[in-house]
Amino acid sequence: MSVLQQQYRNMLNRYTHGKALVLLLALPALLIPTMVLCYIFWQAAPVLDWNFLFGTADGIGFGVTEGIFSQLVGSLLLATMACLIATPFALGTALYYRTFATPWQQQLLSALFNMLQGIPPIVFGLCGLVVLVNLFSWGVSLLSGAVVLAVVVLPLLALNTLATLERIPNEYSEAGSALGLTKGAIILRLWLPRSWRQLLTGLLLAMARALSETAPIMFTATVFSGVVWPDSIFSPVTTLQTHIFYLAQEGNDPLLISIAWGSAAVLVLLVAFFALLARLLPKSGGN
Amino acid sequence: MILRWWLSTSALLSSLTIVLVFGFLLQSSWPLIQQQGITFIIGDEWYPFESLYGMLPALVGTVWAVALALLIALPCGVAAAILCAELLPAQLRGAMRFSMELMAGVPSVVYGLLGMWVLLPLLESQLDLLTGRTLLAAGLLLALMILPTIMVLSEDAIRAVSQSQREAAKNLGIGWDAMLWRVLLPQAWPGIRVATLLATGRAMGETVAVMLVVGSIDRIPDPFYNFLQPAQTLTSRIGREMAEASIGSLHWAALLFCGLLLAIIAIGLSLLIQRKVVAA
Repeated sequence: MSVLQQQYRNMLNRYTHGKALVLLLALPALLIPTMVLCYIFWQAAPVLDWNFLFGTADGIGFGVTEGIFSQLVGSLLLATMACLIATPFALGTALYYRTFATPWQQQLLSALFNMLQGIPPIVFGLCGLVVLVNLFSWGVSLLSGAVVLAVVVLPLLALNTLATLERIPNEYSEAGSALGLTKGAIILRLWLPRSWRQLLTGLLLAMARALSETAPIMFTATVFSGVVWPDSIFSPVTTLQTHIFYLAQEGNDPLLISIAWGSAAVLVLLVAFFALLARLLPKSGGN
Repeated sequence: MILRWWLSTSALLSSLTIVLVFGFLLQSSWPLIQQQGITFIIGDEWYPFESLYGMLPALVGTVWAVALALLIALPCGVAAAILCAELLPAQLRGAMRFSMELMAGVPSVVYGLLGMWVLLPLLESQLDLLTGRTLLAAGLLLALMILPTIMVLSEDAIRAVSQSQREAAKNLGIGWDAMLWRVLLPQAWPGIRVATLLATGRAMGETVAVMLVVGSIDRIPDPFYNFLQPAQTLTSRIGREMAEASIGSLHWAALLFCGLLLAIIAIGLSLLIQRKVVAA
């Protein structure tokens, strides 16, 4: 061991203000979350009322009308559609992993999903713009945005489903097949009853995630104004996320900024609602 | 039979997604590579109107923003994790974790709003800058956004260190600080490393919040360590210019190439993470 190393170790061994240092460094992490949330709601308080929540723009206003109901509905619609599209694929893939996949395929699948999860959402937005909006000529629409968002939440849902299924003891499935149950029956009668609560939790978390994404839907699904209600899945929508984004840049009108803060507070509440619901769901169907 | 068909199809489609993403990105950015070779990656001038598509300014900007964010969030987040795992009583620990989870759930566009209307004026008045839109603003905002990731995962890693290790350290009579530096942190290091890599990926891919505060000026900071200047990141460039580029133009191809770069870096990071997990 070199002298330098020895000195380093001695220094570490003699150091005694660790607790104070840790507390000092952790102070921002303790204070800032509360400050951030309080600030958002403090700024939003003047505009938050029923008219704000349930009023709609008249269709021609430049975001100046104070209601955000159509944005609220747009956000929820996009997130719900995204989860509906992603769920069969996520569930199917996770079940495939547990039933038919060879070890090699299992490794590949989990590696691919971890990669998919790491890819920035804006990249999916770009691909959606190239493929769905232009190549398939779906246009900037509810459907394009929902499919892009579905890809964003797919790894989250699939990995969660996988983790849930892996918690089911192997003996159950073995006992099931020993009794002559088919794979379909094992899935329906053994796995789903045991794990549906956790699957629902995953779905709620995916909703929260889909609601908080802005970048992937910016080019594929949303317009700033001119739309109150989407007529079909091929018409664009307005969402809370993009509403905040555009209003934040309208610097010269304090009213618009306060609407942005109001929308931000509503969006935070909405995301927190789904996250909390996921948390409060009873954990397991009895052991 | 139907079951088998459904499961295999969805598995196949889900795993094809990533291939398709790469395929389409490469295919759409191909015209640029065909015309200008691959050297534009290290070009330092981005002027779409003169067909100059140097990627270096945005790459440097991205690296700077991520590095600043990590520099701020890592000590803070790990300290909070230590505090939570080792020092706080159980109720406070739960409260703190809950507040971190809430913070992780705040959408990025809300952070963007905060950055624009709280952070920028603050920086302008405190640092006496012409504009608060700087790399520092982006770094600070990103630090806030990755703090929960680092803190929650590091806390899990520290709490996973077995109790007998702690008891052994106590029996040897070494103090709390020595135990922290010599037992807890080294043992939790693989977990903290994964947390850092995940946070790096998240910070790199963050778009909306960065876009609102970074200034979007395609210039390498001068001198290169000056983080009090406006700059551009890969994501903010895509976000700012995608709506202006006409479909099929070189500009369009260049922006898609930015996306391809992001995806490649993200894959690299996730390979690093997975190798670590397998080794541990």
